[in-house]
Amino acid sequence: MSDTSTETRSWGQRLSELFPFDWELLRHAGAEPVPLHLKRWWFCLGGTPMYLFIVQLVTGIMLTFYYVPSPDHAYASVAAITQEVRFGWFIRSLHMWSSNFMIVAVILHMLRVYFSRAYRHPRQLNWMVGFLLLGVTMAFGFTGYSLVYEQLSFWGATVATNLAEAVPLVGPWLAYFIRGGPEVAEETLTRFFILHIGVLPTAALVLIGLHVLLIRMHGVTELKFEGEEKVADKERFFRFWPDHVTTELLIGVLLMYLLTILSLIWPADLGEPANPNVTPEHIKPEWYFYFNFRLLKLTSLKVSVALTMALGAIAFFWPFIDSWLERRFERHDSIVTIVGVVAFLGFLLLTVWEAFAL
Amino acid sequence: MNEDSGATRRDLLAAVLMGGGLVLAYGTLALQGFLFLLPKRLRPKTRLIYAGRIDQFAVGGVRTIYDLDGNAILVKRGETDFEAFSSVCPHLGCRVHWEAEERTFFCPCHRGVFDADGVAVSGPPADAGQRLAQVTLEVDDRSGVIYLEVRDRGRRSA
Amino acid sequence: MTLTTKRYIVAALSFLFLAALLVVAFQEAKRHRVEERLEPVITARNKGCVDCHSKDGPALVMEWERSQHAAFGVGCVDCHGADESEIDAWQHEGAWVAVLVTPIDCARCHVREYEEFSQSHHAKAGEIMASLDNVLAEKAAGTPDNIADAVNGCWQCHGSIIRFARDAEGEILRTGKESKPVFDWQTWPNSGMGRLNPDGSKGSCHACHSRHSFEAKLSRSPENCGKCHMGPDHPQIEIYNESKHGIAFYANRDIMALDKQGDWVLGRDYSAAPTCATCHISSYMTPQGQTVANSHDVGERISWTLRPVVSTKLNLVVFEDGFKEDFPHTRELPEIGETLDTTEKYVENEQLATRTVPRRVARIVTWEERRAKMKGACLNCHNDAFVDNFYRQFDSLVELYNEKFAIPAKQIMDELIADGVLRRDAPFEKTVQWVFWELWHHEGRRARHGASMMGPDYTHWHGMYEVAKHFYQNFLPAVVEAAEETSPAMGQKYEARVEALLAQPEHVWLKGLSPEEAEALRQMYAERYNQ
Repeated sequence: MSDTSTETRSWGQRLSELFPFDWELLRHAGAEPVPLHLKRWWFCLGGTPMYLFIVQLVTGIMLTFYYVPSPDHAYASVAAITQEVRFGWFIRSLHMWSSNFMIVAVILHMLRVYFSRAYRHPRQLNWMVGFLLLGVTMAFGFTGYSLVYEQLSFWGATVATNLAEAVPLVGPWLAYFIRGGPEVAEETLTRFFILHIGVLPTAALVLIGLHVLLIRMHGVTELKFEGEEKVADKERFFRFWPDHVTTELLIGVLLMYLLTILSLIWPADLGEPANPNVTPEHIKPEWYFYFNFRLLKLTSLKVSVALTMALGAIAFFWPFIDSWLERRFERHDSIVTIVGVVAFLGFLLLTVWEAFAL
Repeated sequence: MNEDSGATRRDLLAAVLMGGGLVLAYGTLALQGFLFLLPKRLRPKTRLIYAGRIDQFAVGGVRTIYDLDGNAILVKRGETDFEAFSSVCPHLGCRVHWEAEERTFFCPCHRGVFDADGVAVSGPPADAGQRLAQVTLEVDDRSGVIYLEVRDRGRRSA
Repeated sequence: MTLTTKRYIVAALSFLFLAALLVVAFQEAKRHRVEERLEPVITARNKGCVDCHSKDGPALVMEWERSQHAAFGVGCVDCHGADESEIDAWQHEGAWVAVLVTPIDCARCHVREYEEFSQSHHAKAGEIMASLDNVLAEKAAGTPDNIADAVNGCWQCHGSIIRFARDAEGEILRTGKESKPVFDWQTWPNSGMGRLNPDGSKGSCHACHSRHSFEAKLSRSPENCGKCHMGPDHPQIEIYNESKHGIAFYANRDIMALDKQGDWVLGRDYSAAPTCATCHISSYMTPQGQTVANSHDVGERISWTLRPVVSTKLNLVVFEDGFKEDFPHTRELPEIGETLDTTEKYVENEQLATRTVPRRVARIVTWEERRAKMKGACLNCHNDAFVDNFYRQFDSLVELYNEKFAIPAKQIMDELIADGVLRRDAPFEKTVQWVFWELWHHEGRRARHGASMMGPDYTHWHGMYEVAKHFYQNFLPAVVEAAEETSPAMGQKYEARVEALLAQPEHVWLKGLSPEEAEALRQMYAERYNQ
């Protein structure tokens, strides 16, 4: 250690003795060149869910100040938030709209990644991490909505956990584990609560961290679009800071603005409180599960679960299926596009169908 | 911040407007969030609750009446009037109880002792010159009904 | 786009966002917060009751929860709690309770109201057991084994004597594992105003203050009184509905402050109309700006009694122990300090009994003073000449009824009894007894009540017209008929008696109008109807 007793050092120097962070590393990371194609908005769909996740984290923590995870008090506490707490309706509505936006953004991001083939070698792992994030996001939506303990919360949870029972081999055990018992009861709410505010956020943070790390490690895929001339290096990239960051800021503020407007016009509502003795006429899950629900209505319990699992597996392992297709077929590019279009349209069709059906 | 070209006024204006706008907007949001987290009433309201009738209290005796939050209030009937004390010890918040034979209020945590008027006479509360907080009590002379003025946190039932 | 442009866009969006947040803040400030209605206070001693009865009788608990009692934490045990020694007490889920909540129980807190009510005419409503009304219900309409008319009819307004089902030894029957005492089914349920309770108290507070919400709004509404104060023998609610008072009320019900907590004062809290309670019970403002307190003694402001055959003004004698007795103005008033033998009714062995109790006179309230108390309410809307003249109008009708019909008819009835034509112990043997009964008890009362509360149609067509018609068409002939049944000689005696009566100036019109009057009459019909 150098003799520091008599030297005059700047405050910055003193601070860096206490906290010896390598700022150079940060500057280097900040100077990371961002390929020009990221200036296109289609490519900002990755940052969007992350930003919305932060919104969810913040509003979610705030809501937890007032929410009580017990069947006797859950609904009343949500009602209190909506009706009594200052700006309670607003924070809750932000949370609600942000969750919908996040799922949409994740799906759109996934579509972008798919159609731009960014999952290809060596980025297969990242695709899988991303797919897991999709699952986590939907699990967030499901558990979160159940916490309100409205009629649909309760019965939606009942239907979903009954679906889980149909999973081969581990089904019954899985359902038992999720519910905390043989049927949806007080234990279920506690489990959903800790899943929603503890387990899933942790999983999300880890997966997001992994996702970003993988991106940085691999570097952003440099894409060329038709008609772009080969240009000088200097013009192939733009700066992360301040340019890309400003773009992200823009998206952030835009999102907040939209969420606020939606919260003003269509604030989060409150249905009938959960009644375990009365099943409502029409049970529906949240809209992002409509495709699943419609599938269930079209086929049977076992078939729809099996189908969902199969499709999920295909999606999860897609990078490997894609490379197999590449080896097998000459026009594999078109096949991939067609598969993507068909899958997405199918999802849309089932979703819209369920939305209009009773 | 780094600029490619020289710092022109237009660039500076843009940066300032952006920075200012972001600070104002997110700042407002943060303020609203802060208000959200603030407990509903800064000064809790009170309300009267029925605490019994005069003839239910023995002269010189102390009875416990519970307030809306389930805290014990000690109601003492003196020779000529009634007094009500909070059972929360002013020292560190333990609960005191009435010792009928000693005619004192006793706090078991650090052996604080209060006289029949709620003034601390021994133990840490006495050292600090403390007394038991008094609860407003009303007696309707005509009917003999006793009311206590207790805190109303506005809790809703399930 | 350049960085600068982007920054401008971010700035613009930020301000848009800020604007939206300001709208949010505005909405928040404007937001109608859920009204601060006091939540019911469920104290520890009542929690057990509420928890169970929220399922077993939930509406009852819900009613209590929205009551003023619940706002103060006065709950189940505070009213239903009973001492082990009480005759109807039983141990229910660990607590000693009684089903019956009597005025004495209410007086645990509502002392003044109890003192006023217990000496009032309402509390005495159940003492009609020895009256002719009772005879009609139990004997005329009932059988020895079935007095359902009394049970379902009379007693439901006037009040029953609460009795218990007993075994052969006279012990109270008990049922269930908690040994709940069994009521005599004929006497309970009953919320009659003058219900005679096992604890010796008279009356039932919840006759007017319906349980378990005990809403002031209900008690102050005229319909509340109308449950009992209606019908052919005392159509007060019908008269009120006919009167301008009633019309004003129904048109302005929503500004009557009926659900105001605490005092409800005419001339301060409301002004549009009086309800029954306004004039007979409630507070009103005096010209000096004072509030006259309410009183649950409903007779305090009554100067006439319109009940009996012949109406009299009513003085009030108050004794030292609070006992009150109405003295008709025909009865000589005692001196203050004098000891009088008062008769009071009470319940012994579940039967109504009478006893004589000597009491010392504490003060006298004359009928003028009682009327002045009533006038105090009137004067909030009407001036003195108006009010005084009204009372003269009213008085004159009562006197007309008294003088022209009631007193003469009663005289004849007394003579018939004295002559043995009628028997006191067979009160409804002959037609004339029924006719006479209705003459004073039904149409006679209708006329008097109609005048008392400004119901002109009840005063005349339902009232004095029918009094007159039945007097001439039914009563007088029935008198003669009854006499003839005894003997021809008696028949002749009473025919002469009736003739003598009809020769009186007020009755002579029956035989014929004067020529001028007849002509005027004929002309009127010719002009009006061309007939």
